[in-house]
Amino acid sequence: MLLVPCPHCGPRNQSDLRLVGATVPRPDPNATTPEEWGDYLYLRDNPADWIEETWYCRAGCRRYFTLTRHQGTNEFRNPPMPGDKVGTATYTTISVGSSGSQPGANIEPHTTGGAS
Amino acid sequence: MAGIFRRNGAGDAPARYSAPQLARKGLTGEEWPRVWRDHEIKPAYDVIIIGGGVHGLATAYYLATNHGITNVAVLDKGYLGGGGSGRNTAIVRSNYLTPEGVAFYDRSLSLYNSMAADLNINVMFSERGHLTLAHTDSALRTMHWRAEVNKLQGIDSSVIDPDEVKKLAPSLDVSTHPRYPILGALYHPPGGIIRHDAVVWGYARGADHRGVHLHQKTEVLDILVEGGDGPGGKGAGGKVTGVRTNKGDISAPIVVNCTAGWGSLISNMAGVKLPINTHPLEAAVTEPVKVFLPTVVVSGSLHVYVSQTDRGELVFGASVDPLATYSMRGSLSFTEELAGHILELMPGISKMRLLRQWAGLCDMTPDYSPIMGFTPVEGHLTDVGWGTYGFKAGPVSGEQMAECIATNTTPKLIAPFALERFSTGQLVGEKGAAAVGH
Ligand SMILES: Cc1cc2nc3c(=O)[nH]c(=O)nc-3n(C[C@H](O)[C@H](O)[C@H](O)COP(=O)(O)OP(=O)(O)OC[C@H]3O[C@@H](n4cnc5c(N)ncnc54)[C@H](O)[C@@H]3O)c2cc1C
Ligand SMILES: [Zn+2]
Repeated sequence: MLLVPCPHCGPRNQSDLRLVGATVPRPDPNATTPEEWGDYLYLRDNPADWIEETWYCRAGCRRYFTLTRHQGTNEFRNPPMPGDKVGTATYTTISVGSSGSQPGANIEPHTTGGAS
Repeated sequence: MAGIFRRNGAGDAPARYSAPQLARKGLTGEEWPRVWRDHEIKPAYDVIIIGGGVHGLATAYYLATNHGITNVAVLDKGYLGGGGSGRNTAIVRSNYLTPEGVAFYDRSLSLYNSMAADLNINVMFSERGHLTLAHTDSALRTMHWRAEVNKLQGIDSSVIDPDEVKKLAPSLDVSTHPRYPILGALYHPPGGIIRHDAVVWGYARGADHRGVHLHQKTEVLDILVEGGDGPGGKGAGGKVTGVRTNKGDISAPIVVNCTAGWGSLISNMAGVKLPINTHPLEAAVTEPVKVFLPTVVVSGSLHVYVSQTDRGELVFGASVDPLATYSMRGSLSFTEELAGHILELMPGISKMRLLRQWAGLCDMTPDYSPIMGFTPVEGHLTDVGWGTYGFKAGPVSGEQMAECIATNTTPKLIAPFALERFSTGQLVGEKGAAAVGH
């Protein structure tokens, strides 16, 4: 089992988290072709190399964030630590708003420190 | 296209495996001949197949046997059967959920049935029956759904109650005490297990003696493509000209990806992106004991399945590890969860000891169905997306991919599994029958 560096809780057992998958930019659903939308939903690079991916800390802080991991060796690059200052951290936290009618419509990635 | 293929010089037919041969070799101590031969790599082939697992070897075998196309090379970076084909738990069955899946896997089962005679090798196919347990109402509902789809297509498959389960597998705890009591099961008598290594060697031997070249320790580093839209002339609209390997370049107009867990890496080399994530799947085997478990038992809710080999070992498997990775390291959490879950089903085996555990790579697709046939790059075909269920599909995949290559058209049986389905949205949702069952 991996120790996953949660930017808020610190290293935690992998079973406390869920790997959501590779972080891919979401195109505007109103302005894409079905092919582009299919690509976004399904196609993945799946490299044996460094990959940006989204994790969900389901048994801890219950936040979503991005980490960089090597899919060949499982090493994390620049693992963030709780308390890292804004701007120095190399990770992204995605905050999920509680209102809004469109699922996912108010997911806006922003960089932040461990305190947010 | 059929006209472009040439014949390779076939070798001497290998000595047939037979009872008199066995007796003679047993008495005289005479060596058995090598199962397949080594060759120099030729500068060009008509077809290059990447991946020497059951899929690549079966494709080569049927190209030679059914279509007379023998100027074919199978390249593997390691040894034949070193991927999933030598690591799986060897369950074969056809009780899938979608009509497309059922028809496809049923054809494979019938090829497995005649395989020992066709390939002249003892594949030890044991048609012992397959039980998929239901522990919840919703699981039971899915079992009924599967049974109806199966029956409509003439597959022997039905839902049975806990008493009947107990008769088939007396070691199972069918009481109401467990946290997940057994409410019933989908029973599929034609399902069973087979000796996976013999299947791989049988196809390799058959392909070899028809003239196919098998090159081990030959790693594909790049696929050579001209005229595509993407960087370096790769990608949609391009045309394959060959491959670059650790032993030099080899030309070929047709390059087939049969690398399962490594499938994304190979198709990326041609500029074709696939809807695949690679996850490890772990399995384990116990010390041998007297045979007591007559059927294959699968529990989706408990993420575990078990069968007993002829030697008496219990073979266990689970669902894939949640981490997407190319690392094949085993994990303690797998062993712990496996032990906890299997004891819930069979409390009587608590004193048994595990001998080994291992992992293999699984190429998981969003709909738990494969990706077969042509891609936007001319000459680059895929036979990947085999996830945790691809061993049983080896024979039919080889047969259909060979037809696809030889006729340059997509055979009906594999048309639903085309890569395009991910842009047209016509997915073949097989999760309900493939997530743990393999
Ligand atoms: C633990 C476990 C249990 C399973 N249980 C079952 C089961 O009970 N029933 C079932 O039906 N399926 C099962 N499966 C799935 C099944 O094993 C696979 O789907 C199947 O073996 C895939 O076969 P293949 O020939 O496509 O690929 P593989 O056998 O994986 O072969 C791919 C080959 O490609 C080669 N390769 C990779 N990259 C390169 C390169 N760059 N150049 C050259 N060669 C390369 C590899 O060395 C490998 O030999 C299981 C899998 C695992 C891991
Ligand atoms: Zn956390």
